[in-house]
Amino acid sequence: MKGRFGIYGGRYAPEMLIPALEELEETYIHAKKDKRFQKEFLSLLYGFSGRPTPLTFAKNLTVMLGGAKIYFKNEGLNITGAHKITHCLGQALLAKRMGKKRLIAETGAGQHGVATATVSAKFGFECTVYMGEVDVARQRSNVFWMQQLGAKVIPVSFGSRTLKDAVNAALKDWITNVKDTHYLLGSTLGPHPFPTINRDFQSIVGREVASQLNKMEGRDPDYIIACVGGGSNAMGIFSHFIKKKGVALIGVEAGGKGKRFGMHAARFNGGRVGIIEGYKSIFLQDKDGNVAPTHSISAGLDYPGIGPEVAYLKDKQRITFVSVTDREVVDAFRLLSRNEGIIPALESAHAVAHVIKLAPILAKDKIIVVNISGRGDKDIFTIADALKDKEWNEFLENKVKENKKHEQNRPKNKRT
Amino acid sequence: MNKIDQKINGLKKCNRIGLMTHLVLGYPNPMDSLKLAKILIDAGSDFVELQIPFSDPIADGPTIMHASEVALRNGATVTKCLELLQKITVYSPIPVLVMCYYNTVFSFGVEEFCHRMKSLNISGLIVPDIPVDEEKNEKFVHFCLKYDLYLIRVISPASSKQRLTLNAKRAKGFVYCISRFGVTGTKSTLDPTLQNYLSNVKKYFSIPIAVGFGISKKEHIDSLQNKADIAIVGSAIIDQIEKSRNYRQNYLDTVKKFIINIKH
Ligand SMILES: Cc1ncc(COP(=O)(O)O)c(C=O)c1O
Repeated sequence: MKGRFGIYGGRYAPEMLIPALEELEETYIHAKKDKRFQKEFLSLLYGFSGRPTPLTFAKNLTVMLGGAKIYFKNEGLNITGAHKITHCLGQALLAKRMGKKRLIAETGAGQHGVATATVSAKFGFECTVYMGEVDVARQRSNVFWMQQLGAKVIPVSFGSRTLKDAVNAALKDWITNVKDTHYLLGSTLGPHPFPTINRDFQSIVGREVASQLNKMEGRDPDYIIACVGGGSNAMGIFSHFIKKKGVALIGVEAGGKGKRFGMHAARFNGGRVGIIEGYKSIFLQDKDGNVAPTHSISAGLDYPGIGPEVAYLKDKQRITFVSVTDREVVDAFRLLSRNEGIIPALESAHAVAHVIKLAPILAKDKIIVVNISGRGDKDIFTIADALKDKEWNEFLENKVKENKKHEQNRPKNKRT
Repeated sequence: MNKIDQKINGLKKCNRIGLMTHLVLGYPNPMDSLKLAKILIDAGSDFVELQIPFSDPIADGPTIMHASEVALRNGATVTKCLELLQKITVYSPIPVLVMCYYNTVFSFGVEEFCHRMKSLNISGLIVPDIPVDEEKNEKFVHFCLKYDLYLIRVISPASSKQRLTLNAKRAKGFVYCISRFGVTGTKSTLDPTLQNYLSNVKKYFSIPIAVGFGISKKEHIDSLQNKADIAIVGSAIIDQIEKSRNYRQNYLDTVKKFIINIKH
């Protein structure tokens, strides 16, 4: 299997992990050829996760923006609320084949964590999820759901306490427990073979789009837009179309609070080649190669690196990159919710923010497909904050008071 | 002859296990890390391993991670670390090795980094996240050879037959055997399967064997006598420093006593 995309990718892992990565690659090569594996994977996607996800014509937004026709691929309708479940189901089947007993994962937004906890519950794995303290605080509902699904959530208190530190913590756990543990890495990044495996599993999204749009419009789209953290939802929807030169592919990065170093997570604004967390790609880093601080309103895009294949396709000018700011993202979130009845995750709202800019300048016969990688339930706290929602704040205050009262009234000796 | 070989020959002659002590450059601050390095050298280390702090040290446990964070916060840039190394190698009669993560090397420029290390009189490099498999793309082994730096191979109990064979082909100086499954950090006892693992490693490597991760006491080193050639003590030294800092004691003294005690 090819482990490089141009100069990017590779397997820059400590010796402790190389045998496990080799085993994973071997297992995947066999599984890929095995019809039974493919059948089981697909039956889980259709029978459990809820595929195919709908491709919806956004009539209101199309009319409002007055340009190209806009379609949304709604990955938020997967059982766990985002595209992450797809590679989790795939990797869980691989972990079963390898006889592993335990799954570990990193998570930023909590969507990959919830998906890992979900497959752990379904297949009977023990499960530990690492999550930066900053993200635990801003995606608290997903922490709760992971715990309900039986996973142990470990807040990571070192470094910038966000996604990249969760990846580090998970790698350390893997080094320690590699005998019985599979690291279910959650994006198209990390050492080979993770970027390839996750892309392959996710590529069903692009294939579905092709056949759905073909039924509705009789042709391929002109543009596809996806947000890019590590690249799993973007590579999922792009892969099928990479060879089709007429389809423009656009990745949207997190522009955060502005262009200044440390205020955003746009790797293509100031990032350079580096080797971190097991792979070579473009990273936001200081002059010594230390990883730079990042900021994004969305936890899932708040990451200093980017998948190696994405970086390669950028170099080849096959994917164009843009970034949008936190403020544009909140506006896009509101616009989509109010006008289309789709509440997007803040990550996915980045893609929406760009379509708002792009659609009006295109002719009416052009077609844009936007990947809505997840739904926004998890972002209730962040969005309520951003919108300064008074009623929600009052509700929270009352809820806390009420809980305290219950706590006090409960007989002390009965507490467990 | 590389200083590492000279030292190993010396150890063989007096038939004793060597001691390699470890420090994070710039920890707890640049001035004191220089003093600490001199203490490690004077107190009887046979090798010193000096780590350039990095923001994301994936092979390190909480102790060295914390030390790296403190060092970076207190201004341990690569430039500063090179200044410190310069002073230490001028002072040191024993071989000085540099430990770092590969992005530090890559960011500096692989050849430039190796060249600089050589001009600073560094004897070897320990870089845990660059497997030999990436040589085609990185040419790191190549430039280490060119500048007579020993690139120490790091292997672990997880290493398969193929991995041991592959690493043995490229190994120079000594082989760094990680004592257990896990990251750096102290434990009260050494892994009971360590002896089997080391005898297995000896089937593949003809060069001396160094054992690191979790070594924190004289008993640990004694138990490695005749099983390994070098014992590596890292986190335990930082633990000592942290402890005496908490008690507001002079940690320079503490470290000196600790090394003398562990050695004799
Ligand atoms: C809904 C959603 N979209 C996108 C992302 C970003 O990841 P990726 O770029 O791998 O799709 C995340 C990650 O947490 C997510 O939860």
